Amino acid sequence: MRYTAPAPVAAPVLQVEKLVKRYRDVVALDGVSLQIGAGEIFALLGPNGAGKTTLIGAVCGLVKKTSGRIHLFGTDLDVDALGPRFQVGLVPQEVNFDPFFTVTESLRIQLGYYGRLPDEARIAEVLEALDLTAKANAQTRALSGGMKRRLLIAKALVHRPKLVFLDEPTAGVDVELRRDLWTYVRQLRAQGTTVVLTTHYLEEAEELADRVGIINEGRLLLVEDKRALLQRMGKKRLVVSFERPVARLPEAFTGGSVLSEDGKGLVYTERPGHPRAAEVLHALYASGLPVQEVETRASKLEDVLIEVLHGREVAP
Amino acid sequence: MNGLGLRTLLSKEVRRFLRVPGQTVLSPLISTSLYFVVFGVSLGGRMEQVTGQPYLPFIVPGLVFLGMANNAFLNSSSSLFIMKIQGTVVDLLVAPLGAGEILLGFVGGAMVRGLIVGLLTWGVALLFTPLQLVHPGATLAFLVGTAYVFSVLGLIAAVWAEKFEQINFFPTFVMLPLTFLGGVFYSVKQLPEPWHTVSLFNPMVYMVEGLRYGMLGSSVFPPLLGGALLAALALLATLVTYALLARGYKLKQ
Repeated sequence: MRYTAPAPVAAPVLQVEKLVKRYRDVVALDGVSLQIGAGEIFALLGPNGAGKTTLIGAVCGLVKKTSGRIHLFGTDLDVDALGPRFQVGLVPQEVNFDPFFTVTESLRIQLGYYGRLPDEARIAEVLEALDLTAKANAQTRALSGGMKRRLLIAKALVHRPKLVFLDEPTAGVDVELRRDLWTYVRQLRAQGTTVVLTTHYLEEAEELADRVGIINEGRLLLVEDKRALLQRMGKKRLVVSFERPVARLPEAFTGGSVLSEDGKGLVYTERPGHPRAAEVLHALYASGLPVQEVETRASKLEDVLIEVLHGREVAP
Repeated sequence: MNGLGLRTLLSKEVRRFLRVPGQTVLSPLISTSLYFVVFGVSLGGRMEQVTGQPYLPFIVPGLVFLGMANNAFLNSSSSLFIMKIQGTVVDLLVAPLGAGEILLGFVGGAMVRGLIVGLLTWGVALLFTPLQLVHPGATLAFLVGTAYVFSVLGLIAAVWAEKFEQINFFPTFVMLPLTFLGGVFYSVKQLPEPWHTVSLFNPMVYMVEGLRYGMLGSSVFPPLLGGALLAALALLATLVTYALLARGYKLKQ
C-alpha cells in the first residue's frame, strides 16, 4: 500500500504528528500524521475498527496516546490538555443521555462544563436547528432514539465550538434528520467552524466534505481534496443495452469494454490511454448497433474507498 | 481552573439526588429511624447507662455517622458509576474539566447528601431524646470530615468498578461490617479482649467517638486522635483519587 503524505494546511486548527496508540498487542493508530485547516469539513473514512474513533478520542481526551504529538489551536496537548478543549465539541458514536434531566437542562449543564453561563437564546437556537424545540422540557429518557441523537448533536454544538467532531452523527437516524444535519453542518462551515466527520454513509462524506482521509488498520492511507480525489481516481462507465443480441463489437470498443454473455449488454469503463466515454458514446451511435438504452455512471466516493482499501490507490 | 465547570458539576450532582428524594434521602432516613426505635427505644429501655450516658442519646452520634457515611459514599459511587455505564462520562472527559474539578464536583454533591441525611437523622433523634451539643466546633469538624472522606472513597470505588457487583462490594463487605463493629451501638470499652484490641484497628471507631465527643462531651479516645486520623485519611484518599482521575484510570482507554 502506498502512503500518500498529506499536504500541509494553512492555519491548521488540529495537527497530529506520528500518533501511535497501542492496546497491548493491537496497534489502533500506527504513526498517524494529519492537519486539519480552519473552516474545512474533513471526512475521515475507513472500515469498522480502522482507528477513526480512536483518533478522535485521542484528540478529545478519551484515549491516552502511546506516543506522538497533538496540537489543538496551536497548543500542544502535552503542555495544556484542557485549555484548547473549551473550543471543541464532540458527537460521540454511542448514544448517551442523563435520565435525571430534561433536554434544556442537559444543554445548560453542557454550557456550564465549557465555562459558559446559561444562555437561553443560544439553547433555543440549537433546539430549533435540530428540531427539538417541542421536546425542550421533555425528560431525556422519554426521547426516541432519533431524538436522543439530535440531543447529542445539540450538546456538542451549544457552546459554539470552533472545532466539532461528528463521529457517525447520523447512524440510525431518519433521512429527514440526515438532510437537516447536512444543512446545519454547511451553516457551521459558513460561520467558520471546522468539522471533522466520520461516517458509514459515504454519500454523506461526498455531499459535505472538502477533504477526505482514508484510514485502515490504524494507518492513514490517503488525505486529499475530495474533488481532486474523485477526478483522479474516479471512473466513468457507460452501460448500454441492445434491442437484440450483438455477436461482436467493432474494434473501437474492444479496449475497456465488456459484452454480456447474451450479447444484449455492454459495459465500457473509461481508463487512462483509452477513448473517453463521450467519444465511445459517439462512436456507438455511429456504428449502427441496435442501441436501446444508454446509462452513464460516475464513480462515487464509495468506489474510490474500495479501490484504496484494496491497495489499488494511485498516488497523485 | 474552570470555576463555572466545577460549579455546574456540583450543582448537577446535588440536583441529581434531589430528583429522587424518596430513594436518596427518605429511604435512608427511615432505615436509621428504625434503628432508634428498635435499639434505642425498645431494647435501650432495658439497658444500663453506657459510658455515663443513657443508651438512647449514646447511640445518636453513631446513627448520625452511619446515615451520613453511607449516603455520602453511595452518592459519589453511584453517580460516577452510572455515568460510566450509561456512557455520559464522555461528556465529562471531553469537557475542559481537570481531575481536581471532577473530584470536587462529585465529592461536593455527595457531601451535601451525606450531611442532609446525617442532620435529618439527628432531627429524628430529637423526637426521642433532647438535643445535646457540647462541642459545636468539634461536631461540625467531624461531620464535615466524615462526609468528605466517605464521598472520596465512593469516588474511588466508582472509578475502580466495572460491574454492578463490584460497586456493591465496598459498602457490603467493608463499610457495613466496619460501621456495625465501629462502636455505633456500644462502646468499645465494653468489649472483652481480643475484640477490644481488634476494634482499635477499625478507623470508624475513632470517627464515631469523635462525633460522640462533639455531641455528648465525652468519648473513649482523645478527639484529637480521631481528628488526626480523619485528616490523614482525607489526605490519602484525596491524593489517590486525584491520581486516578488525572491518569484516567478505567475512565479513558
